[in-house]
Amino acid sequence: MAQRRELIKGSIDSLLLCLVVQQPMYGYQIIKELERRSQGYFKFKEGTLYPALHRLEEAGLIQGKWQTLPSGRQRRYYHITEKGLYGLEAKRSQWLDFLAAMNLIIQPASD
Amino acid sequence: MTTALSHYLDSVRENLRLDRSLESEVIHELETHIEDELQELKDAGLSEEEATSTCLTLLGSAKLVARQIYETHSQGSWSQALFAAMPHLLFGLLFALNWWRGVGWLLGMLVLVLSMVVYGWWRGKPAWLFPWLGYSLLPVVAAGLLLLYLPQGWSWVAILLYIPMALLLVYAITIKTIKRDWLYGSLMLLPLPIIAGWFLAVEPVDKIPEYWLQRLQDFAPWIGLSFLALGVTVATFIRLRKRWLKVSVLVMSGLITLTMVAYYAEGRLSIPALLILIIVMLLLLLSPALVERTLRHTGQRPSA
Repeated sequence: MAQRRELIKGSIDSLLLCLVVQQPMYGYQIIKELERRSQGYFKFKEGTLYPALHRLEEAGLIQGKWQTLPSGRQRRYYHITEKGLYGLEAKRSQWLDFLAAMNLIIQPASD
Repeated sequence: MTTALSHYLDSVRENLRLDRSLESEVIHELETHIEDELQELKDAGLSEEEATSTCLTLLGSAKLVARQIYETHSQGSWSQALFAAMPHLLFGLLFALNWWRGVGWLLGMLVLVLSMVVYGWWRGKPAWLFPWLGYSLLPVVAAGLLLLYLPQGWSWVAILLYIPMALLLVYAITIKTIKRDWLYGSLMLLPLPIIAGWFLAVEPVDKIPEYWLQRLQDFAPWIGLSFLALGVTVATFIRLRKRWLKVSVLVMSGLITLTMVAYYAEGRLSIPALLILIIVMLLLLLSPALVERTLRHTGQRPSA
């Protein structure tokens, strides 16, 4: 479990950028979407999502904007920025290279 | 929202130590998250109590969340670091370049310090304001000390009237600063032990101004150097994210600079005096944390 947490911690920025690139999302929606799309694999302390979102916003990769829903409730939607798009592209390519290299090592050798 | 969840948000707020507008946004965002979570858990058939307990477990430690959000926003930009270091650097230059004898330079410095304090206060008290705020109190303290050296009758006026009022003013501003974040209180008070150290080294006991002006002249380059060191410290403080590193850099810099004062004062600052100054420095830098804790226990919420 601790190993999984470490893995998620290392990939949280990529995961968040991947989600908000498709559509602007708010915190709770991100948590639910991560859980749904990873079939329950990505579960973490929800409070720690916000420091990650704020860190990405400080770095200029995403931007949060308050929106009022028809119900009158307010949500802070996170949009990806142009810098974020470039950042995501770089992270994607790093991740694919890493996966390819890992697969070469970790898969059992087929003699 | 239940009391337990309100306490959770209060605990996050108390540990955020951000400026008020940013703090409200963070709390409001967490609040909307909690509302969604509670609604979903209750829709799934949980009671209010069960939903609250599950929600708190899912959110995780309030202190950890607050600390992580603080660290995201606590690093100032290079321009903020330069702004914060500037009063120390200017004060250092005043001595290093021997401008301290020119009334024009001193007045210019005073006007600049007061203008920056007013501007910073008006801009919502950013981190760079607090070193300027410390220097704005310096003329108040210096006037009190100088009054003590006036002829007999006048020193009583200083003791009975001026010094209590000046102390009250310094106290009120320090408390206001500590309510924002105790670390800013320490940042504001940082130069005080250094100034006291140089004051003791110049030692104006003989009441002949020419002698201590001459000593001040002799020490001027080293006084300048010690304030340049404080400037570097403050710039580093603004650029650091973690609180424990910020505290460490203030304490280390205070110790090194005081040792520097003792070294360059060429024996005019005795070892016991240096030790007392070090204790005073540690008290000044760390007591704001205790004051903040006391204010919280007495129910005075930290404010921006």
